[in-house]
Amino acid sequence: MMNGSTIIFYLLAALTLVSGLLAVTTRLIFRSAIYLLFSLIGIAGIYFWLNYEFIAAVQIVVYVGGIVVLIIFSIFLTQQAGEQLPRPTMGRQLFAALAAFCGLALVMLQLYKHNFTGTDKPAVEPTVANIGNQMLGVEEGGYALPFEVVSILLLAALVGCIVIALKKDTIMNKEHGKQNDEVKER
Amino acid sequence: MPLTSAFSIPFSRFDIHKMWSLTDITTNIHDWLNETFSPTWVLIIEMVIAGIAVIGLFAVLGLVLVIMERKVSAWMQIRLGPNRVGPKGLLQSLADTLKLLVKEGLTPGGADKFLFNLAPIIALVVAMLLMAPIAFAKDFQLWNLNIGVLYVSAVSSLMVISILMAGWSSNNKYSLMGAMRSGAQIVSYELSAGLSILTIVVLAGSLNIPDIIYSQADGWWIFKGHIPALIAFVIFIIAVTAETNRAPFDLAEAESELTAGFHTEYSGMKFALFFLAEYVNVFIVCAIGATLFLGGWMPFHIGNWEAFNHVMDYIPSSIWFFGKTFFLIFVIMWFRWTFPRLRIDQLLNLEWKYLLPISMFNLILVTAIAILKWHF
Amino acid sequence: MFIVKYIKDVFSGIKSLLVGMRRTGYYFTHHKEIITEQYPDNRDTLKLPERFKGEVVMPHDANNEHRCTGCTACELACPNGTIKVVTKFDITPDGKKKKAIDKLVYHLELCTMCNLCIVACPSDAIVMAQTFEHSVFDRAELTKILNNPGSRIMDGVE
Ligand code: SF4
Ligand code: SF4
Repeated sequence: MMNGSTIIFYLLAALTLVSGLLAVTTRLIFRSAIYLLFSLIGIAGIYFWLNYEFIAAVQIVVYVGGIVVLIIFSIFLTQQAGEQLPRPTMGRQLFAALAAFCGLALVMLQLYKHNFTGTDKPAVEPTVANIGNQMLGVEEGGYALPFEVVSILLLAALVGCIVIALKKDTIMNKEHGKQNDEVKER
Repeated sequence: MPLTSAFSIPFSRFDIHKMWSLTDITTNIHDWLNETFSPTWVLIIEMVIAGIAVIGLFAVLGLVLVIMERKVSAWMQIRLGPNRVGPKGLLQSLADTLKLLVKEGLTPGGADKFLFNLAPIIALVVAMLLMAPIAFAKDFQLWNLNIGVLYVSAVSSLMVISILMAGWSSNNKYSLMGAMRSGAQIVSYELSAGLSILTIVVLAGSLNIPDIIYSQADGWWIFKGHIPALIAFVIFIIAVTAETNRAPFDLAEAESELTAGFHTEYSGMKFALFFLAEYVNVFIVCAIGATLFLGGWMPFHIGNWEAFNHVMDYIPSSIWFFGKTFFLIFVIMWFRWTFPRLRIDQLLNLEWKYLLPISMFNLILVTAIAILKWHF
Repeated sequence: MFIVKYIKDVFSGIKSLLVGMRRTGYYFTHHKEIITEQYPDNRDTLKLPERFKGEVVMPHDANNEHRCTGCTACELACPNGTIKVVTKFDITPDGKKKKAIDKLVYHLELCTMCNLCIVACPSDAIVMAQTFEHSVFDRAELTKILNNPGSRIMDGVE
């Protein structure tokens, strides 16, 4: 007997899977981005269903509000409206399917091999305070070190972006400068 | 599962006020339903009630806010405003809705039909989702979730998707330009809105909306948080004005340059949905502002003036909430009818050179205040 | 100093915005200032400003006399060819011929109310009237003859 909760889970799972499938099969690139969005929203919905509200909200902020918007922006800047993408070649389709299957197999293998053990310890409430303490804790089970490493990675990425952005600017400035000098000489 | 809390649980640990509360009614309904139906049915019925309530609130808000905007704009421009339909023109927005309802909803040729028709629905659904965690009165909330404030800022970032979708699928250069502008605008102003929300989260020590409201029982944060809270409030108001695409930040629609921006091609009911979503979004951001900075449904209290405080307690909490929210809405309308529209580079300058650095510095200041317990 | 200028910028910006808001706030609270005319309702009490230009008319006095000498200065001044002066020759009592107007034809549908004809007129024979409800069902009705039938020129106007 299915209760309401299970039905909602299957609805969310169906939303995620169907829109994920549509995202890779549609040949209109903007629609593909929108289907990806729905797929990500479905995942956020599953987090909500699990009562991991914080993760769900972060999923929406990062993926939907950030990444999909970026993708849409790059589509806006590079593509013509209403154009259909060419159908991918048979070989590519095959390899893509193979890659997807390998990924799925890997995950399923891990899941089946892992021995899930029950525990009678009370569950840790997934509140923001707990997540924060865990994330920055230095004692047993704390994630301070990985957290810092990830922040350094992000910092490096930021600095890299700025360097790339600056470089172009200086080249252009140099050219401008040359022109200005020429003008001055005259 | 989260939806069981469709009607919020009474918050007994802060029993400071003997204010009249809607909790009794909701718990009575809940109990009665539980006695009569099975749990699944109770859940479904409660969801239906909540849905009807939200849709009803939507309709009323749309009508009220549109007529309010038209009257406010008229008076600020030394005009009379609508004054023909109904007493003092108060039924004007009803007549307009009727007109939009019977108007043909055209879909332009060459448009992506599916996305074109989906965009206004998404706009509306996002606005509806945003209604969930807002506390409309004492202990009266659709969904009391742990991360209320974060939820609102997360879901409101979906707003931009519907605009981008509408702009792209219309197959019209004005729509596309409007959509791109509004994308750039919303993505950048989300940052300073988020940071100014964070200052209050730091002060209150919680993301939960009832917690934040109860933390203001002895004074609203805008008074308790000294000048930094005031700065955060100003930045919040500016940023949310930009996020809801209203003048002076209405580059997305910019009538004089882009005809109507992303909704150029929309007509009839589809246009009405966008219109409604815009006004409901204004209501929601103002409700959040009122909750964070002005104490939500908390009455106004002054120190030890017992008599005064008692009188204030007699005013129902929902009136406090709606009063504050409508005050903020009025302020945002005041902005709209006073200031000229910004250019896109000025808009981005304002965000990245002024609002963001100031709000970051402000956040550090507030964190110091919160750690040293300097706030009242 | 950079930082001083920055802070000054912020404060002067806020101040200028507040000045604007004070003005609109004043209008919002002072409904006496409202300038809207609810036109068809207030037709009886409607008062147009003196400078309002509605159409060109030629005033006549009680003896059905006007001041137009038929000099055609207005016809020449009009950029749109709105005015046509049709002249005739009156015989004065002492037997001389004298130029006078037969008809001064005015095409309201062509007029842009630019006031040039009125400025050009040397004898102040035409003025701007304040009527503005000009819509008619037949275009021919817009072609008007400004001098009244049987009117003649005022004595002493040359
Ligand atoms: S007002 Fe101007 S357009 Fe009209 S008749 Fe006189 S000169 Fe011509
Ligand atoms: S109206 Fe004036 S300008 Fe025109 S013909 Fe008569 S006198 Fe001359």
